[in-house]
Amino acid sequence: MRATREWFGDALTELVAVRDDVVVVNCDLGSATKTLKVKQKFPDRFFECGIAEANAIGIASGLAQEGYRPFLASFAHFLTGKYLEIFQSIGLNNSGVVLVGTHTGLAIGKDGPTQMGLRDLALMRTLHNMQILHPVDGVETRQMLTYVAANREPAYLRLCRQPQREIHPPDYRFTFGEPDVVRRGNGLALFGMGGTVEVLLDSVAELAADGVDPTVVNVSSLPVNPASARRLFHDHTYAFVVEDHFVKGGISDELARIVLETKETVHFGTWGVGDYGQAGSPADLYARYELDPAGVASRIRAFLGNH
Amino acid sequence: MEDVVKSAIRYGGPAVQDADPVLEIGADSASTLNRIGELANRCRQVLLEMIYLADSGHVGSSLSCVDILSVLKFDQMDWEAMRSRVDSDVFVLSKGHAVPAWYAALIVSGELDRACVSTLRTLDSELQGHPDRNRCDLVDVSTGALGQGLSIGVGRAEAKRLKGQNSYVYCVVGDGEIQEGQVWEALMYAGVRHVSNLVLFVDYNRSQNDGALDEIMSLHPLSEKIESFRWHVQEVDGHSHAALRDAVIAAKNNGTQPSAIIAYTRKGYLGRDRVLLNGAHGGSLTLEEFEQAIEFLRESA
Repeated sequence: MRATREWFGDALTELVAVRDDVVVVNCDLGSATKTLKVKQKFPDRFFECGIAEANAIGIASGLAQEGYRPFLASFAHFLTGKYLEIFQSIGLNNSGVVLVGTHTGLAIGKDGPTQMGLRDLALMRTLHNMQILHPVDGVETRQMLTYVAANREPAYLRLCRQPQREIHPPDYRFTFGEPDVVRRGNGLALFGMGGTVEVLLDSVAELAADGVDPTVVNVSSLPVNPASARRLFHDHTYAFVVEDHFVKGGISDELARIVLETKETVHFGTWGVGDYGQAGSPADLYARYELDPAGVASRIRAFLGNH
Repeated sequence: MEDVVKSAIRYGGPAVQDADPVLEIGADSASTLNRIGELANRCRQVLLEMIYLADSGHVGSSLSCVDILSVLKFDQMDWEAMRSRVDSDVFVLSKGHAVPAWYAALIVSGELDRACVSTLRTLDSELQGHPDRNRCDLVDVSTGALGQGLSIGVGRAEAKRLKGQNSYVYCVVGDGEIQEGQVWEALMYAGVRHVSNLVLFVDYNRSQNDGALDEIMSLHPLSEKIESFRWHVQEVDGHSHAALRDAVIAAKNNGTQPSAIIAYTRKGYLGRDRVLLNGAHGGSLTLEEFEQAIEFLRESA
């Protein structure tokens, strides 16, 4: 069990060691986003901006325009709060910056809603050239880092605070835009990303008593390839999307659009965070918002019962 | 469209018939300044023509920075259309609404096709209303929403230092634009980190969208503020090519600090104490206003 931000910090340090073009831009959150190892080992490739995210976005854009591949890491909530700057300095400029948003979802817990990355996907999804990636474990984090280091598209790497278990075998190969089926079942397909995938897998045991045997899909990169998603909808009667994000604007919307545009007849349901969130221990929060295995199972039962 | 073409014919044809294929900047300082003066005058004519034909654009804001851009483009900047700016100087027009002044400089230098003059702010044009590097190769940084250009300039300057490259990044901000907080974040960073290959021009034309800068939000004392952010600051007459040129040379000679050149300008400045449209921020030109301005510029040339 390890948080994806930890895997990220290690993989990034390895990347900086082997690639001269990779640099890091920081906003006083290197300890939390796990980029400080780069500062220790490669101080000239580490640009500290202080608590000034807008400027950091511009500096990262400028570095990218000169041929570097900058990784700008901060809490997802603070980073994507600078939407106008990301829109213009990175999106419209088509600058190959990798924005890294950590502490997504309710897992930041006691710090509460002013620090929770709960609407970052909604904002990043609006940018036409932004690739969104959210690893589910260490294997996928390393694969994604290799992928983003090898191209020059603007990217948003979404990371979780909480430790997660390894879901993939060591030989897993990440493919951008492809929904990744981590469990094959029948009738019902469950969709999630990041820390939610593990919750979906854990809800399977709770659902077994009801005779439900779901497929579990790790939607780890956006935009989703519509043809691949369509096949999954086609092969199932029910589709249910669960996200540790506002219920509006995240992967539910991404997938619902595909359902409608491809005229698939799958029964479609969603579950996510329906208010601004609040302070509390992560366990209490996930229980309250029914985003723990028991809560998710109960929401799935309600969804299946209504259809 | 037909009206526009007719108007263009009525005012007696383009202000610049053919761009000089090679810009010959004089060997000595006096002839250099004369040449910059000539070219700046032609830039003014071209940008007026563009904005007149587009029936839209920021005349006052473009005219106030023409002399700054002319000194950079025609003399001080190591910038050529055919060379990648990854290997040479970079120009960031953070006050992107003044971009007709940059397009005009490129047309006058012959690096942008003369025919582009009628395409400002039209569909699919390279010449977007605000600079767009993905539509025009001769734009180094896309800007428009104010306050962001200096940060990108800092990033490019940092990249050039990391590469060990001896190039400069020049950035022009508007005075009103400095009200944006991000500008101060960038000033703080560049001062603390000694980003000495960065030269910032403040086009201090004292006017912004809703009126006089001092009535909306005064910047006073700007020089002291920027100095306190550990920058080298110079204050110059922003329409004096000699003063602007000397200031850029002094900025380049300061190897330890970033340099800010506060250029006192006049919105809509045509030369010889004449301003257009009372120094208004934006707005279109009538044919009469346009013709009178062109006539004035031709006489001043």
